[in-house]
Amino acid sequence: MDSDDDFMSDVSSQDDFLGTQGSDDESLGEDFDDLDAGFSDDKDLIKHKKKPYEVEFKVLAPADIDHEQLGQVNEVCAILGLPPESAAILLRFGRWNKEKLIESYMEHPEQTLEEAGLGSNFEGTAKTECIPGFMCDICCEDGDDLETYAMRCGHRYCVGCYRHYLAQKIKEEGEASRIQCPGDRCNRIVDSKSLDLLVTKELQGRYRELLTRTYVDDNENLKWCPAPNCQYAIDCGVKQRDLRRIVPTVRCFCKNEFCFGCSLSDHQPAPCTLVKMWLQKCEDDSETANWISANTKECTKCNSTIEKNGGCNHMTCRKCKYEFCWMCMGLWSEHGTSWYNCNRYEEKSGADARSAQAKSRSSLERYLHYYNRYANHEQSAKLDKDLYLKTEKKMTSLQSQSGLSWIEVQFLDTASQALQQCRQTLKWTYAFAFYLARNNLTEIFEDNQKDLEMAVESLSEMFEKPVAELAGLKVDILDKTTYCNNRRVILLSVTAENLKNGEWTFNIDW
Amino acid sequence: MSLCQNRLQEERKQWRRDHPFGFVAKPKRAPQGGLDLKNWECAIPGKANTLWEGGLFKIDLIFPDEYPTKPPKCKFTPALFHPNVYPSGTVCLSILNEEEGWRPAITIKQLLLGIQDLLDDPNPESPAQAEAYNLFKKDRPQYERRVRMAVKENQPN
Repeated sequence: MDSDDDFMSDVSSQDDFLGTQGSDDESLGEDFDDLDAGFSDDKDLIKHKKKPYEVEFKVLAPADIDHEQLGQVNEVCAILGLPPESAAILLRFGRWNKEKLIESYMEHPEQTLEEAGLGSNFEGTAKTECIPGFMCDICCEDGDDLETYAMRCGHRYCVGCYRHYLAQKIKEEGEASRIQCPGDRCNRIVDSKSLDLLVTKELQGRYRELLTRTYVDDNENLKWCPAPNCQYAIDCGVKQRDLRRIVPTVRCFCKNEFCFGCSLSDHQPAPCTLVKMWLQKCEDDSETANWISANTKECTKCNSTIEKNGGCNHMTCRKCKYEFCWMCMGLWSEHGTSWYNCNRYEEKSGADARSAQAKSRSSLERYLHYYNRYANHEQSAKLDKDLYLKTEKKMTSLQSQSGLSWIEVQFLDTASQALQQCRQTLKWTYAFAFYLARNNLTEIFEDNQKDLEMAVESLSEMFEKPVAELAGLKVDILDKTTYCNNRRVILLSVTAENLKNGEWTFNIDW
Repeated sequence: MSLCQNRLQEERKQWRRDHPFGFVAKPKRAPQGGLDLKNWECAIPGKANTLWEGGLFKIDLIFPDEYPTKPPKCKFTPALFHPNVYPSGTVCLSILNEEEGWRPAITIKQLLLGIQDLLDDPNPESPAQAEAYNLFKKDRPQYERRVRMAVKENQPN
């Protein structure tokens, strides 16, 4: 599934809800028609048509991942004629790049097997044995009834030591795919068959879990959902190199929306690199420095940083007692008799210092313009989220006060979700715009941004109304919600389209 | 007896039966008498025909309770001028790292021989002290002079 379906499923759930409730059907039905008409005339097509900002992806449950893994192993196993546990080791060694692996195996089978930690001997079955006269090199126990085990490399140890070693690797070190033979300098990988023979069921489970983890980590197309306690992974074909042109937002079954490129939460329309730069910038002390340069001056003699805290231009450096004029930065004594009224403002040396200051100030102001709006949406989204948590309560009280049924008050839930999502988008439009060079496209972008922002603010206002008024506002809220979603789709579509075609010009290199 | 104690006792037996020439390895005396098997005093001779020839370098092996699942800590006393020896004297070597080359089957003999090899064959990929590493990389004659000094300071008595 992808977020397209999701957006539509919101719509269709509303459709269902409308179907059960005749009165509002008309007005809303029209709204949806409008929405659809904006994209294409063919309604059936639209339902499944991908929007420009959406990417193809699949959500995988742990069972799906295991299944996929097994499929790959079986395939390689059939092609190369290796036992499955060995094929699995080979695949993990080749980071699941089947084609490259098979090619390298065909060219130098022995060498590939050796490097993968397999060795070319596949004779014999995995079983424990008692060998007369054997002494374990690890615990130095001996005895004719000592159970021992060796992989095909022949390094034999007692089962107890082997078990202990494997438990240490799996439990303590979280290692699974690269557990090597306990023998000195032996790089044979312990295969799953040997492992199953030696360790407890519980450890086997943990071992499989760790293997699944490396499978996802090693696979370029797979990524874990970063939400806490979420066990799903996402399968998406967007590559690292595509990230300049695509912002691959994916949506997990757990409803978490995140970027497949960088695992941060959804940051459309801004591409990953710009997001990283922006976050860095907001975090950096560089902005403190920026503030300092805009608000302070340096003593021309001892270079101490000075902030003007009184109205008078006559500055005396606290440190070196140098006296100068705040306006022209010139020596105070040269001001002659025109004390407290600098008329040397136009002089060259002062002018240079001032223009540098002005430039820094305007760049700071530009940054602050974008930052304040970015931060504001972030803040509002948080507040909206609090509100969302209260929505449920609101919906219950609305049910009791207005006599509406549970399903009829779902519009609040929908509205709250739309608010969240739109604010998330708006927030990142400001980070994105900060890096945009000014041209016609930027103007269109800003218009779209403004439309969405106004719609969101007015929806937000309605949403905050007292419960008593909410029932009366229902149609308005529904309309506004649809409108907001609609504006968001348009903004994201246009931006993504331009990004894909490389139409944007940026004021930085990235 | 625990795996750790058992194995160390056996190591001690093996060592007394046979060990490489010039090496020393024996458990320390415990404060309350008897031997502290988890604390060994060892010494590694510099290899013949290398800069390190003639030196005998004292090193302590401290065994954790998890030995041989986990490797012992190996610490030169006093600390040694060598790119892979930390200022504290601790040796940085792949076979001494449980997440790298350490295997439960590695014996004390193999371990000490491994450290002997390391003396004349430092690994510039994992520097542990700045001084020896920088000289090794940038000023070989000075590095060699310092090694000879270290040999002089660590003579068998």
